[in-house]
Amino acid sequence: MPELTNRSHPAASTKPGRRRWLSQAGLLWVAGLPLTARAGPDPQALLAASDAIRNPSQPFRVTVSLSEFEKAVQVNTTTLVSFARTLESGGQFASLLRFVQPARDVGKVMLKNGSDLWFYDPGTKSAVRIAPQQRLMGQAANGDVVTVNFARDYQASLAAEESIQDGERHQRKAYKLLLASSSSDATYGSIELWIDSSSNAPLKAKFFADSGRLLKTAYYRKFQPQLGMDRPTETVIIDGLDPQSVTIVRLSDYGFRSAPTHWFQRDYLPRFIAD
Amino acid sequence: MPFKKNALSLAVLSLAATLSLPVWADEDDALNLQAEPAKPAAASAPSQTVRLALELAAITAQRQADGGSVSGHRASIDLRLSAPLGQGWRWALSDRLDDIQPVQAGQPGTRNQLREAYLNWQQPDGNTGLELGRLNLRHGPAYGYNPTDYFRAGATRLIVTADPVALRENRLGTFMLRANRSWDGGGASLVLAPKLTNSGPSDQALSLDLGATNSQDRLLGVISAKASARWSGEALALYQRGTGTKLGANLTGLLTDALVLQGEWSTSRSDSLLNQALAQAAAPQRVHQAALGLTWSAPFGWVITGEAEYNGAGLNQAGWRNLLAQPPNTVGRFFAGTQADQELASRRAWLLYATQKGVAGIRQLDVTGFVRQNAEDHSHLAWAELRYHWPRVDAALQWQRSSRGALTEYGSLPYRQVLQLLGSVYF
Repeated sequence: MPELTNRSHPAASTKPGRRRWLSQAGLLWVAGLPLTARAGPDPQALLAASDAIRNPSQPFRVTVSLSEFEKAVQVNTTTLVSFARTLESGGQFASLLRFVQPARDVGKVMLKNGSDLWFYDPGTKSAVRIAPQQRLMGQAANGDVVTVNFARDYQASLAAEESIQDGERHQRKAYKLLLASSSSDATYGSIELWIDSSSNAPLKAKFFADSGRLLKTAYYRKFQPQLGMDRPTETVIIDGLDPQSVTIVRLSDYGFRSAPTHWFQRDYLPRFIAD
Repeated sequence: MPFKKNALSLAVLSLAATLSLPVWADEDDALNLQAEPAKPAAASAPSQTVRLALELAAITAQRQADGGSVSGHRASIDLRLSAPLGQGWRWALSDRLDDIQPVQAGQPGTRNQLREAYLNWQQPDGNTGLELGRLNLRHGPAYGYNPTDYFRAGATRLIVTADPVALRENRLGTFMLRANRSWDGGGASLVLAPKLTNSGPSDQALSLDLGATNSQDRLLGVISAKASARWSGEALALYQRGTGTKLGANLTGLLTDALVLQGEWSTSRSDSLLNQALAQAAAPQRVHQAALGLTWSAPFGWVITGEAEYNGAGLNQAGWRNLLAQPPNTVGRFFAGTQADQELASRRAWLLYATQKGVAGIRQLDVTGFVRQNAEDHSHLAWAELRYHWPRVDAALQWQRSSRGALTEYGSLPYRQVLQLLGSVYF
């Protein structure tokens, strides 16, 4: 435990690394060598390309199913219908989600629009503002079910190019990116993200708290053609403290669906039908 | 020495490799997991809402007066339906039927509550809508006391829990016509709730209880606005024929990623609750009501709310002594009225409310609890619930305990301690 909680923030190592890289680049420039040939891919562009595979660029709907496992036994299932779109301010996704399963939660609605996070209960008729750190669905973070463009909230740096095992146990050549949060809306302090070096598909991610503690590991898998390109339709999320605690997030029934911007606010929650 | 160092390094590396094995095994195990297929019906028809719940409860309570115990049971059927009618129209129905045994003197054992029954129309883009019928319209973000929740008056017909959040679920809606319009960053609504009866609240088992919810003509205007991603609020004006106007405002703010502030304020000219209880004639005074709370999302899943509550028409310490020295009928009427209105009976009160999902690493186990303190007479009420979820069944154990002191608000409750065991099935 102390090792985990006191571990230095992964992003903390990026600044010295960047300085070394810059000084090496300076030497190469002095030597008259072409800088771009040795600079490698632009990590922020890689991240944006990976985001574009996870998330369609136009407003869309998708069914999100969360299956929670404890010691390999499925203990909870939650199904939501999500409407997501980018908003003009900031370009980050906003998400509206309506619960359709389990029966006790039918009709509940969650809204995430940056830091503006609300939960509406049709039973109590109340819309409650939720702090980003409050969990709504068991062990799953709110950030696990809403649509997020990492490139909007994190600054990427290239850490390595290495071979890793993906979510379907194939060896894949991948770029390892270190993402440091650069926005107050970021769910995590930092992320290590592995991206397929040929397709830019996201393969694996490790999510860290501000303290540097590993919160969870995620594998993106079951890539299928959805809304114009191969996208991951399943994410396996393994708890950082208890690896026996696993959540599988499955995405299905993708479709383009226009949702006006005024839907993504508290006043609209009682009227959100998700059809 | 170099050999020893190398050997030591190898040993450390071997140990590290051994220690890391279970982690990889766990990740491999996780990747072997396959989720059960989703039920297609649930995902394909989100526009229809059907929720039927059956709840059974066994209750045992210890009397405040002599320490003796009483027991009873309750059966409840809770139904919510909503479906489209086409062309932007929908209908919705929400009803609850309770049967409580043994029957209390002067009360029906069985009681139905038609909470909602209304038609709704929305423009295709959803920015303009109309609703007509009985609606449970609620305003105000505070947890325990909502001064700007103007349609709470008279709406709580039956109290089956002390939890203020759950109580809102069981209250009656008001017959009204509501028009609303929303735009980026805000919205506005206008509500007309007409007087539909000259009679007062009804105790009849199957009554619509119009006397509780529509005994006055009321007109409510609400404007909501979002100042930023972290701050938003509402301004409200309520006109009640024969009573006057109430003005109110509420707000919520995200102070940090773990801290939410919520506040409400309302003002009107009205008589004090004590004068109303004792039927003493007095000129209405300007009265303020307010609630201010902070909700903290603590590490390890606890969500804790502290709330300060104020009702300028409520009873101070002398008022409580005066009221509780009155005949039992007068005291009973007072509490029946404040409970039906979900009104803060005391001038000042505190609420500490806490909840956690997934207690002790058990994902299906939730705990909720609160302590409510009357800041005038210093009596208090504590309540806690442990709730375990299966996919379609809940089991819950609720415990409630009030402080002693016959001349205090919570000391005058009939029961010192209540235990309730509940089972709920969702269809």
